[in-house]
Amino acid sequence: MAKQRVKVRNWQLGREMDYWYEESRPVRQFTMIMDTNKCIACQSCTIACKSTWTWGKGQEYMLWNNIETKPYGYYPTGWDVNVLDLLGRQEWDGDVYAGETLFEAAPAGEYVLGWAPDEADWNHPNIGEDEPTGSADDTPYLEDLPHSLMWMYYLQRICNHCTYPACVAACPRDAIYKRPEDGVVLVDQERCRGYQECLTACPYKKTMFNLETRVSEKCIGCYPKLEQGLQTQCTTACIGRLRLTNYLSPPEASDPRKPADFLVHERKIALPLYPQLGLEPNVYYIPPIHVPVPHLMQMFGPGVERAIELYKQAKDDPELLGLLLLFGSTERIIDTFDVRDGVARGYAQDGSEIVAVPLREPTFVRPFEFATEVSGEPATGYRHNT
Amino acid sequence: MAEGMTRKDALVAAGAVGAVGAGAVGAAGVLGLFGSEAPPEAALVAAYRRGELPQDDPQSSAWDDAAEAVVPLSPQRVSPPFLDAAGVAELRARALHNGSDVAFRLTWDDGSVDDLDGVRRYHDAVAVMLPTVAGDPAPITMGDRGKPVHILQWRATWQRDLTGQTGVDQIYPRVEHDVMPDDVLPPQTASLYWVGRKAGNPLSQVKRATPVEQIVAEGFGTTTHLPELTARGRGVHDGGSWAVALGFPAKRDGVGAALEPAQRWSVAFAVWLGDQENRGGRKHYANWIPFALELP
Ligand code: SF4
Ligand code: SF4
Repeated sequence: MAKQRVKVRNWQLGREMDYWYEESRPVRQFTMIMDTNKCIACQSCTIACKSTWTWGKGQEYMLWNNIETKPYGYYPTGWDVNVLDLLGRQEWDGDVYAGETLFEAAPAGEYVLGWAPDEADWNHPNIGEDEPTGSADDTPYLEDLPHSLMWMYYLQRICNHCTYPACVAACPRDAIYKRPEDGVVLVDQERCRGYQECLTACPYKKTMFNLETRVSEKCIGCYPKLEQGLQTQCTTACIGRLRLTNYLSPPEASDPRKPADFLVHERKIALPLYPQLGLEPNVYYIPPIHVPVPHLMQMFGPGVERAIELYKQAKDDPELLGLLLLFGSTERIIDTFDVRDGVARGYAQDGSEIVAVPLREPTFVRPFEFATEVSGEPATGYRHNT
Repeated sequence: MAEGMTRKDALVAAGAVGAVGAGAVGAAGVLGLFGSEAPPEAALVAAYRRGELPQDDPQSSAWDDAAEAVVPLSPQRVSPPFLDAAGVAELRARALHNGSDVAFRLTWDDGSVDDLDGVRRYHDAVAVMLPTVAGDPAPITMGDRGKPVHILQWRATWQRDLTGQTGVDQIYPRVEHDVMPDDVLPPQTASLYWVGRKAGNPLSQVKRATPVEQIVAEGFGTTTHLPELTARGRGVHDGGSWAVALGFPAKRDGVGAALEPAQRWSVAFAVWLGDQENRGGRKHYANWIPFALELP
């Protein structure tokens, strides 16, 4: 049954756009906030996801979560540069997107402008790892921020559980759906017939074909955990404490007491990934502060400079600093937060306190007398307790 | 068809404009299909044959008893996603029946065997579409709401499944696995890592009794799998073409009316070339052609 184009509102673009289903927002939208500045690419998140959901036969190449080095890393190879190339040069007019989305640019007979990765594109999850731009010989000394010549950073990638998913639009069988209760996007494992249309359509390349069951699979937002009020595996395994699993309201319903609303709508410090593609993705990134702005604007849209400025001032902004410190502080999903008397607190939906984190940890100075003597030698310093 | 409708209108209603030429299998046949009160001259006739039908032997000499219809194929460009480039121009069809079973033999040119599914690896396949009731057929777009069609699909991958030779170890013969769920978990738990299979998706099963799936559809994207395994079939790839035989009981319990002689039937076909990334709606299809069963 052919789908019909309709107009929907995409607030990330500041305008209406074409989509293949009516606008239908979930009761609340699953979201993840990533502070790119804190990532060390240890892949603890990747392994947490893999060892929970995708270590079966047929899922070998699947990384529902992956960390890639930008600008030269990507999994699958070239996922973003290929789609940008396909779409061609597009412009923003201030905060309003003046270009075409992947739905608007879809050729006749297609629902989405897309491309299918080759099998070999899935072979190199760590391609470009730690490769910076430029050459260290030319830029031996980097004191300015952002760096103009030599830089790289890590991008944390999961499915964006988009408001307007390309995977849903492209599926000729309506086998992919968005849960009304939390906006998590799932592939119906009973309905899918393995056409791989979603692999071509999703610009983020976050649906994957199971080689044994011959149907598509994707990040499930750890929904069994969400249903228990818990943050996802990739969030809680993150040693950099840079992720926050949360729920996001549409901008007009933003509530500053809610963590994601505060970061995305109030402070506008967390930005969507490639918003110009038109999917209204629901993973938000605090951009890396040392990376040239033109590159970041292509990735995260027009709000980049402001977000970087805010982040640099976070030390003088107790509310923002407090919320950033609540990242990785609890496995439970924080419904609301506040910062009072030097302490950031997270609360559950019933208002009970889940966690409290001081903005400054107390400092203890150990007297020198406690220093240990080593085999009769006089004490010369503190012994590390390792 | 409503009175006063022209043949072109009927095709428009069926969403098949652009494929008008595709149905021209011997002009007499097609013209006879629409609106004629006289018994149509069928483009494809299932010859009557006593005894067993060669339902899984496309190379049997029994097929020589049936006349061959050459059916033009068109790339599907009625409903997205479209097939951009045609890779095969025609299908050759023969049919037999013995009063209780109906069988088809279908051949088409295809230079490669594609019988392993993987990332961007698709399979060769062929499908036969039949109306569920005699008379004017439902829309060519795999029927319509309230106007179901009966479809039989043979897939090269399913045929290979019968040999147990599909899956990761076949796609990547040098694959090394360390610990897999079934090495360390009880079978019930390990099977959770094959979600599609566990959920009962017929596409995900590799242990199967037949390479032919039967479905009922009411429009593109609405296929419903029929669990009864009453269809048989087998394909042979030889000299740059596939020959596939498939057969099923003429009594179509739970699907539609029995296929009987002395009634006006239609049949349509679809072909997928795996190496050209054909799958789902990205297929070659033939419009309805008049089909009849020879009286015993
Ligand atoms: S990121 Fe891709 S797979 Fe995830 S919802 Fe969006 S379009 Fe679908
Ligand atoms: S949310 Fe869960 S399923 Fe999705 S990438 Fe993270 S760990 Fe994997």
